[in-house]
Amino acid sequence: MSAPADDDAVREWAAARRLPAPYLARWLALGPDDRAALLEAATGLRMRAGQLIAAFDLLEEISVRDARPIAAILARDEVRRILNGTGSGPGRAAALLAALRALRFPRLARATERIAREIAALGLPRGIRIAPPRELASGEIRIELAAHGGEELSRLLDALSRHATELARIADLVAGVGWHDDEI
Amino acid sequence: MRFELDAVYVEEEMRATALARRVIAALPPGVPVYHVPDGRIAARADRGAADPFAAGKRRMVIMRRRSRFLTGCPAASNEFACCGYLVMELASNCPMDCGYCFLQEFVADNPGFQVYANYADAFAELDRVQAAADRPLRIGTGELADSLAFDSLTGMSRDLVRYFAGRAGLTLELKTKTDEIENLLDLDSRGRTLVSWTLSPERVFRSSEHRTASPSARIAAARRVLEAGYRVGFHLDPIIACDGADRDYSALLDELFATVPAARIEFISLGGLRMTPGLRAAARRRFPRDPMLLGEEVLAPDGRYRAFAPLRMRLYEAINRRIAREKPGVRVYLCMESAATYRRVLGAAPPAPAALGARLADGNRRDG
Repeated sequence: MSAPADDDAVREWAAARRLPAPYLARWLALGPDDRAALLEAATGLRMRAGQLIAAFDLLEEISVRDARPIAAILARDEVRRILNGTGSGPGRAAALLAALRALRFPRLARATERIAREIAALGLPRGIRIAPPRELASGEIRIELAAHGGEELSRLLDALSRHATELARIADLVAGVGWHDDEI
Repeated sequence: MRFELDAVYVEEEMRATALARRVIAALPPGVPVYHVPDGRIAARADRGAADPFAAGKRRMVIMRRRSRFLTGCPAASNEFACCGYLVMELASNCPMDCGYCFLQEFVADNPGFQVYANYADAFAELDRVQAAADRPLRIGTGELADSLAFDSLTGMSRDLVRYFAGRAGLTLELKTKTDEIENLLDLDSRGRTLVSWTLSPERVFRSSEHRTASPSARIAAARRVLEAGYRVGFHLDPIIACDGADRDYSALLDELFATVPAARIEFISLGGLRMTPGLRAAARRRFPRDPMLLGEEVLAPDGRYRAFAPLRMRLYEAINRRIAREKPGVRVYLCMESAATYRRVLGAAPPAPAALGARLADGNRRDG
C-alpha cells in the first residue's frame, strides 16, 4: 500500500468515526508500517473512535517502553489471534484492548491473574466476596459477606474460618508478600 | 557555572544586594541582565514558548521573597507517615530537568528560576523557630529547588552553613543532584549541615535526569563532603519500579556503600514514583520518549499514580534488605507513604513526625 493511499484511508476512517484531530495527526505521523497496521486493526475490528484512542495510547506506550514499532506489537501471536479471529467486531475490539493492557502492564496482569486464581481455588460459598483492590492499587483486601439471617451468616463465617490460612496468604500477596522472584 | 542561562532579571529593589552583585559578577559574558520592577512578572510562564517550563529554567530572576521563607514540607499530609521536615524556600525551580519532577506541575504558572536576594531575612525566622523549638529541627532548602545548583553563582550555601554552624538544635539539609560542592569544602559546619543526594540507578539517570550529575559523581561528591566534616544522607526517591529495578537499586547501593561507609550515613529515605494525573500528563507531554514514565503505575487511593502496591512493596523491601545487610541500623524512612505501608515495609509503626524529625536532625551524633 502506498503512503498517500494509506493517508487517505486513515483520513476516511477518522472522518467516519469522528476521531479527534490530535489523534488523527498522531496517526498520520506514524511510519508507514505502523500507520497501516493500526488501520488494519481499526477496520478489521470495526473499532469505535474511543476504542481506537485507547488502543493507540496503549500501543504508543508499549512501543516507547519496549523500543518496538507498533506494527511489531500488532504482529505478536496473541494479538494476531484476535485480529484474525472470528466473532463480532466489538467483541474482538474489547479483546484487543484487554490484550494490549496485559502487554502494557505485564506484571500487574500476572499478579492480578494469580490472585484471582488463588481466590477461585478456595471454592468459597456464594455470599462471600474476596475483593482485592482495583488494579492492586493499594495493599488492602476486602471481604464482603452477604447473608440472609444468622444461620447463613454462621455458615459463611465457618467457611471463612476454614480458609483462614489461605486467605491470609492472599492478603499477603496483595500486600506484596509471597511472590516468586521475577513473578512481578 | 555549568548550567546555561538565557537571561538574568534583577528586581530593581534587589539590584544592590550582595547576591545580585555576586551573580552578575560571576555570569559568563553574553548573558543579558535586565532590571525589572517586579520579578514576579518575569517569573511567569511564557505561554508563547514551545516549552514554557523549560524556558523558565533558563531565566534566572533575582527578586525579593514576599512571604515567609520557612514552611512545612509540601509533601506533608495526615495521609502519610511524615518526617517532620521544615522547608526553607530560598529559590524556586531548578536548572536540571528530571522527567518525573513535581515542579513541572507545581510551578507551571511561574517557572522562572527565582532566587530570593533577601534570603538573609530567613535567618530571623530561623532564630524565632530555634527559640520556640522543643526538639532538634531539620530544615532543608532542596524542595522547590536544588540546594546547590547555581551555588557557584549565588554562593548562598556559604552563608547558610555559617549561620547553622552557630545554631544548636537546627540542622540544615542541602539536597542536591549535582556535584557542586566546592563552596562547602573549606567551611566548618560544626556538624550542623547535612548534605544529601537524591540517587537513582544509572538507567534512570540516563533516561530521566537531564543535566544532573551522574550517580557516580554524586556519590563521589558525598565522599568529599563527608571528609570535609559534613553529615551525609541519601534519598532513593523517586524509586522507579521498571523491569529489573531491584537489581539496579542493589547495584546502586553496592556503589554507594563502596564509597561512603554505611556507618557514616545519617539516613536513607525511600519514596516510590508518585504522580498526580496533572503531573503525569505534563511529564509525558514534555518527555514522550522516556520509558521511565511508562511503568506499571495505577491510580492509587491518594489520587496519585503509583506502581501497583505489591510491586512497590516488594521493591521497598528488597532495597531495605540490601541496606540492612550492609549495616543493620542505618536509618531508613519512607516518604509519602501511609502508616500501613511503613509498618509493612519497615516492620514498625512510623514514629510521630516530630520524633522522626528530631532523630533525623540530630542523627548519628546522638543515637547512631
